[in-house]
Amino acid sequence: MNSQPILGNEAIAIGIIENGCRVVTAYPGTPSSEILAGVMKHKKRLKRDVYTEWSINEKVAFEIALAASWTGLRAVVTMKQVGLNVASDPLFSAAYTGVKGGFVVISADDPGPHSSQTEQDSRLMALVAKIPVFDPSTPAEAREVIKDAFALSERYKIPVILRPTTRLCHAVQSLSIDGAHEPDDGIPSVKFHRDPPRWTATPKFRNLLHVELNKKLKDIADEFSDSPLNYVVNASSNGTMGIIASGVAFQTAQQALQELGARVPILKIGTPFPLPQKLVNSFCAQFETLIVLEEPDVCIEIQIQDRSHVKGRLDGSVPGAGELTPEVIFLVLSKALSEAGYQVNQPPEDPELAALIKGLPLPVKPPRLCPGCSHRSAFFAMKRTFGPNAIYPGDIGCYTLGTNLRAVDTFVDMGASITMANGFFQANRLVKDERPIVATIGDSTFLHSGVAPLINAVHTGARFVLLILDNHTTAMTGFQPTAANDYLADRMEAPRKVSIPDLVRACGVGYVNVADPYDQEDFIRTLKEAQAHAQSPDGGVAVLIAERPCTLYDQSPILEHPVPVVITEECDGCRYCTEAFECPALVLRPDKSRVDIDYSICVDCGQCIDACHKGFIIPKILEISRA
Amino acid sequence: MDIKLIITGNGGQGIVFLTRLFAQTAVTLGHSVMVSETHGMSQRGGSVISHLKINGDEAPLILSGTADFMIALEANEAVRNLALLRRAGMVFVNADDGLRSEVGHHLDRLNIKVMRLPASRLALELGSASITNIIMAGFAAAHPAFDIPIKKMTATVEKISKNNAELNLKALETGYQAGRKIFSA
Ligand code: SF4
Ligand code: SF4
Repeated sequence: MNSQPILGNEAIAIGIIENGCRVVTAYPGTPSSEILAGVMKHKKRLKRDVYTEWSINEKVAFEIALAASWTGLRAVVTMKQVGLNVASDPLFSAAYTGVKGGFVVISADDPGPHSSQTEQDSRLMALVAKIPVFDPSTPAEAREVIKDAFALSERYKIPVILRPTTRLCHAVQSLSIDGAHEPDDGIPSVKFHRDPPRWTATPKFRNLLHVELNKKLKDIADEFSDSPLNYVVNASSNGTMGIIASGVAFQTAQQALQELGARVPILKIGTPFPLPQKLVNSFCAQFETLIVLEEPDVCIEIQIQDRSHVKGRLDGSVPGAGELTPEVIFLVLSKALSEAGYQVNQPPEDPELAALIKGLPLPVKPPRLCPGCSHRSAFFAMKRTFGPNAIYPGDIGCYTLGTNLRAVDTFVDMGASITMANGFFQANRLVKDERPIVATIGDSTFLHSGVAPLINAVHTGARFVLLILDNHTTAMTGFQPTAANDYLADRMEAPRKVSIPDLVRACGVGYVNVADPYDQEDFIRTLKEAQAHAQSPDGGVAVLIAERPCTLYDQSPILEHPVPVVITEECDGCRYCTEAFECPALVLRPDKSRVDIDYSICVDCGQCIDACHKGFIIPKILEISRA
Repeated sequence: MDIKLIITGNGGQGIVFLTRLFAQTAVTLGHSVMVSETHGMSQRGGSVISHLKINGDEAPLILSGTADFMIALEANEAVRNLALLRRAGMVFVNADDGLRSEVGHHLDRLNIKVMRLPASRLALELGSASITNIIMAGFAAAHPAFDIPIKKMTATVEKISKNNAELNLKALETGYQAGRKIFSA
């Protein structure tokens, strides 16, 4: 059969489509974002009728998929781990009420973290919500396990979680994708039926549902003890040590053992909650020492009943934070094995070279906004208007990188720019701090969870400037459409698009304006106007919408009006532009004598002309006319 | 064949495309692959690294000190990741000059060879900085130790290029010819 290299997230998508899922909803977030794109690709390939949507946030996505499940259809909702926090309200409730059609929640964790504000563990969330979890270790497994996930969900009428991690989502594995899928049975003839003790359970019934849920979990734990998803490798080796591992750490542990030259039995746990206690107990009974390898936190380890011989994150044998890289796992196992009297190989890495490189002053290139990014222009104008003295609450998106420009003083979670601004306003009033407050939020994030905070701020009389950076897309996660776009997930025309200015007005905001951040002069003028409104006696929250498409997504406005620039001979390398404007195409010469433009990445946006206060960055046409 | 390859550079240099090029070619040849890619925040200009295993285990990352080859689109990223290579491993780097002098004697001691090509310069000569990655692919493929035939790479470039197949093929060929010249000398 024909193999292809398939991204982990796409493998998950294939599993979703192959197993007759009919509704897939999602909110983008690294590392989960490519799942829905894969679903759209493979529903086309297999000609399946599947409803897909990029929902406005994770709670909305969850509930739309849940309703489909209550109708009797198979449904999936995907998100990143912090998105599960947003969807936690329905998550907890749905554990009690249960489901009808198979319902799989995919929550991707980010050990490291690489692109998240926390290293939280969705398996622990599942444990608290009392929902079973599947924890695959490769893209191939992730695709396969979706069949089991749907089946379990339908057998026990319970939502289940599939938990991949960054390294699985962004792994590419050779898989054979044709031939294997089940034939399409068409849309099942199901419909929603009233069931008051379940779908509208009052507290009295909720208690019964809780009892029922506990019973389900007990039965599922027993079932998991016999499940082929949990098995032992290297069983025949004899020794005093055993390993329990799940997720990608299972694969990494096998690789480490190979390099260590040791054969140690590993109990692979594919279902970390509820833990298959019988299987785990009988495995543990065989060894004097057990090592638990799991990411990003402790889920298996805390469920093990007798932990007296267990080494893991709790006793410090495994680091309590950060990714379980091959090097970390090698070290952990090497130490434990040596202590248990095993002969092991040295780490293959050359320690001298590694130490030398660690000490070298290699330039660290932090991520930066793209050349020509409109956020940079908006931030630059904002800093020019309000200076270093204002308070700048920020939010989650590409524009979080405004921290480099000192244009983002706080970010907490999606939508918090507005609530933090509101909170700072109230606190500052008490402590008599009169600094201006200017919050920034992107279009997608505003729609995700900025609207309710804005209403709250208006209603309680807060005063600050809110800059909505509207670049017409969800850029950071790969350009998913928002409710303000005129197209849907599958690129079909949207029946209606939401107007952000109208929405803001409807929240009761007294000053709403739209300006192009590429027009610095006008943008600064509107910013001042907004601030005047925020400070005037009958003013309040003032909203300025910075409108300009993301340069990486839509270059057409620049291609229509390119403004190529040059830096004149007079440039003295003062570095104002590289620090205050920070376009990656502005490069300080190694001898620091001047700044050059890296034309290989410059997009001719002309925005840096304003970034040299001495006027040494000029449009190319001027240079020609000078000569 | 059993290859562990590191591909590194900065966000925006086309590391993911380059990785897919090798992965796709290996799969066409009937090999199994396991790759780890960088997505998300660091794609906005930060350090980007891919790990690629052909016919290896199923762990996405390569254990430090065991990689056979590294292709680096930027010299500092090459140095940053040198310890990932095994003894007698090989670096293909896009650079005008050699790697930082501090690492020199360790490279000799560990018998790690550095193959250098000013690929950015060649790319600009061909008309676009964006094909530096493919020039480096051709360069590596020209080395006798690098066991992926150029013919298959050419077929993959044709297959996975969107609308710029012609330029990409020219880039691959340019890197390959440059490599043949350098490696036969
Ligand atoms: S992707 Fe778009 S929004 Fe994000 S940094 Fe680049 S230009 Fe700016
Ligand atoms: S014109 Fe200036 S700001 Fe725009 S991309 Fe080029 S160097 Fe950067």
